[in-house]
Amino acid sequence: MARELLPGTLDMLILKTLTRASNHGYGIAQYIQRVSSDALRVGEGSLYPALQRLLNAKWVRAEWGESETGRRVRLYTITPSGRKQLENEQAEFGVTIAGIMRVMEAM
Amino acid sequence: MRSRRAQLRAEIEAHRQMIEDQLLREGMSPRDAAAAARRQFGNESSAVEDSSDEWPLTWLSTLLRDVRFAARVLRKRPGLTLTAILIAGLGVGANTAIVGVLRAALLKPLGLQDSDNVVVASVRMEKIKLLHAETSGVEFRELHAMNDAFQSLAAMEGRAWTYESGGQAGNNASRLRGRAVTPEFFTVFHERPHLGRFFNADDNNSLVLSYLLWKSQFGADPNIVNRTVLLDRVPYRIVGVASPTFRFPANADAWSSLRLAPGRLRQRGYNMNLTLVARLKDSVSIERAQDRVNRHVAALKSAPDGKELADYGYFVDLEPFSRYVAGDLRRPLWLLWAAALAVLLTACANIAVLLLSRTAGRRREIAIRLSLGATRVQILRQLAVESTMLGALGGIFGIALGAAALSFIGRLTLPGKPILELASLDLRLVLYAIAISLVCGFAFGLAPAIQLARGSQTTALSRAGRHRFQDLFIAAQIAAALVLLISTGLLLRSLWTLERIQPGFDPSRLTTAFFLIPPGDPGFVARVEQKLRSSPGVEASAIAYPIPFTGGGLTSSFNIVGRRQPASGLAWHGEAYFVSPGYFDALRIPILRGRNISPADTGTAPRVCLIDAKFARRFFPGEDPIGHEIGMYWKARIIGIVPDVRSSTLEEESRATVYYPIAQQSSSSFAAIVRTQGPGAPIIRAAVRAASPSSPVYDVQTMDERIGESLGIRRTVATLVCVFACLCILLAAIGLHGVVSQVVGERAGEIAVRMALGARPAQILSQFLTYGLKSGAAGLAIGLALAFYAQGWLGNLLFNVKPFDPATFLEACVGVILVLAAAVFRPARRASRLSPHAILRHE
Repeated sequence: MARELLPGTLDMLILKTLTRASNHGYGIAQYIQRVSSDALRVGEGSLYPALQRLLNAKWVRAEWGESETGRRVRLYTITPSGRKQLENEQAEFGVTIAGIMRVMEAM
Repeated sequence: MRSRRAQLRAEIEAHRQMIEDQLLREGMSPRDAAAAARRQFGNESSAVEDSSDEWPLTWLSTLLRDVRFAARVLRKRPGLTLTAILIAGLGVGANTAIVGVLRAALLKPLGLQDSDNVVVASVRMEKIKLLHAETSGVEFRELHAMNDAFQSLAAMEGRAWTYESGGQAGNNASRLRGRAVTPEFFTVFHERPHLGRFFNADDNNSLVLSYLLWKSQFGADPNIVNRTVLLDRVPYRIVGVASPTFRFPANADAWSSLRLAPGRLRQRGYNMNLTLVARLKDSVSIERAQDRVNRHVAALKSAPDGKELADYGYFVDLEPFSRYVAGDLRRPLWLLWAAALAVLLTACANIAVLLLSRTAGRRREIAIRLSLGATRVQILRQLAVESTMLGALGGIFGIALGAAALSFIGRLTLPGKPILELASLDLRLVLYAIAISLVCGFAFGLAPAIQLARGSQTTALSRAGRHRFQDLFIAAQIAAALVLLISTGLLLRSLWTLERIQPGFDPSRLTTAFFLIPPGDPGFVARVEQKLRSSPGVEASAIAYPIPFTGGGLTSSFNIVGRRQPASGLAWHGEAYFVSPGYFDALRIPILRGRNISPADTGTAPRVCLIDAKFARRFFPGEDPIGHEIGMYWKARIIGIVPDVRSSTLEEESRATVYYPIAQQSSSSFAAIVRTQGPGAPIIRAAVRAASPSSPVYDVQTMDERIGESLGIRRTVATLVCVFACLCILLAAIGLHGVVSQVVGERAGEIAVRMALGARPAQILSQFLTYGLKSGAAGLAIGLALAFYAQGWLGNLLFNVKPFDPATFLEACVGVILVLAAAVFRPARRASRLSPHAILRHE
């Protein structure tokens, strides 16, 4: 079952995905879907705007390459400033989640 | 490199295909896979759009958006926009035209490419008030030897030739003007020939044609070089054609080679007809070169035979070429530039006031935009784009105006200053116009922007601030207008004083023209004279050389027979004219004592002369000069006395003057003077042609024109300053009118309450009149102070006007106050006629 992502988390998920290896848009969407056991599904309509946002912020860079199946694709690689951004977001996200959990379990 | 959008599209397309690949691998038929992938993927192009929305706006697209918005805003208020464009255009146009003239006259004299290092040398003899005199061959030799100061140096001497294009027998004669120049002349100006070559040291009777003459007289013949032409029936070989841009002197048709005879290089003070032009060495400033020359002159004076030079107060002066060319036009032109700048500034101030009042109206719109999330920087940028657009539109209008003004100025003639014809609108001038219009746009946008930047203040406070700005601008405008009005007044007063001066003869209906004497024809002048006298319609006629208002008489030293030279050792100097017996009658100059020249005073009769009253007063006080002999060109007995005549300019009294019978002198050219009812020029032409078909007639003008030309600069400057002053005062009036109208609008409520409480309309009227004039008062004070300082700029354009002429100052002030009162009256009256009912209900 596909679910809407929490707002603002997509960037973090993409950056996290790219820490494993450089990947193309399709690969990133597939990876997130597979690792979350189909819980999270990234639509193209939000994936590509997010990638453009990350490119503008210089957290990732892109170059044209070839996919495993031989298609010309654009491969995204996380930059050092992207890694730093990921750490920050991850820490903040941790705090937020922990906060949400505490509220939810306070009853 | 593909565009960013194309890359994005390709990337998203690849994504869809990979989904399709996956579905195929899972065993779908290709058609089903394609359909499913499309379904799953959703709208491809909206993904592209959404993604490209993430890109930051480029400066260009931001600018375009701002420009579109500004255009909408400006269109919405066409009245204000057109006014602003009109005002800015006037300012920019006036400035562009004046700078065009300034540049032609001062910065790039005569279109010469590289004249920064060129200087002109002249002789000054202080004790006999001889200033800016041309030099003799000696100065040429001495300065030529100073190769530590000058790279190259050349002498030139005036020439006028009769050119008979039809050969010996032809009757198609024309007169050419030019200069004889030493070989280095063109080197001094870094010139290259258009065809052929320039002169070298071996040239004799060689000729370089000006580009214009080559085109007009020789049909731009490419094989012109080495052809021989007859000038004054002497063969000259054409060695080259000058480049199209070389026009020095401005009226030169050709240059001939000049060889100075050895004797001429040794006689100082004789044959002072040479103009020396020199190029300074690159490392030498004009001051250092002048020092070098001064040391040399000082050494000459302290030498054993140098006493005479010291007595005369002899100096050799260097001046920059640009100053030599522009001469007395320089100050008027700077003055006009300052005036045009003042107009531009008032125009800017005016637009700023207009924009300020509009900003007040736009406060609401801007507040809404701010609350919708626009940043202050965005709003300021928007305002800057608006005012820059206004500036640019005004600039376009101004360039058109400037081009029109320049072509008009080009058609004005000033005597001896044809340089103004060269002023034209070129790329650099257009760039200048664009630059000032953009600066203006920025400047008048600045005030509203500052206002808005302080948007957080309360409305009442910022209203006070706005008024402070407006008061400042209004004061500046009024000050500028007053300074220009006072200048106009002083110039006009000088002009009127001058025009009332009587030259000492009656110039009305006199026509004058010069003609050349064909060589070997002794009866020629008598035939012309006879023919003129017998022509129908001629009241009086005469032959003379020179004639009044063509640069004065011939200057010469003289002695008086039986009297010792003055003890100072300095010779007496006077002016000489050679005239026919009809001269005094034709010019209506009475003979005060003695007799006129008669037809019997021929070349073989005893030599005689008349003197003017000034000569008599100065050299024969309390004595009868008649019968005395003076030696000027030759010994001649004084037979009569005539009154003083102003003959070089109206400003100057002439020097002591001697008139000789024309029959006792020979010359190559004379002038004919006729007093006629109808046009005189055809009569002179016909008379000269009847006497000899090949003799050219030139420089035909009425005497009124010649006198008018001597006032030409004054008239032009006075007219232009007057135009600028009117523009300025008009702008100031518009500005003040706008401000007072706006204040009346803002305070309508207050007025209504006061009227409801019993204030009479007259009270309201006087309140706003006073308000308007009060804001003008500061401007008047500043303007008066500035005018005291600025009139120094008028310098020698003032004639017989006291430096602080109280009448002019007073009139200008009264004029400004009247115009301002008129400007304030309308809004003030509107305030007094407001209906309190309507307003209070509205509020």
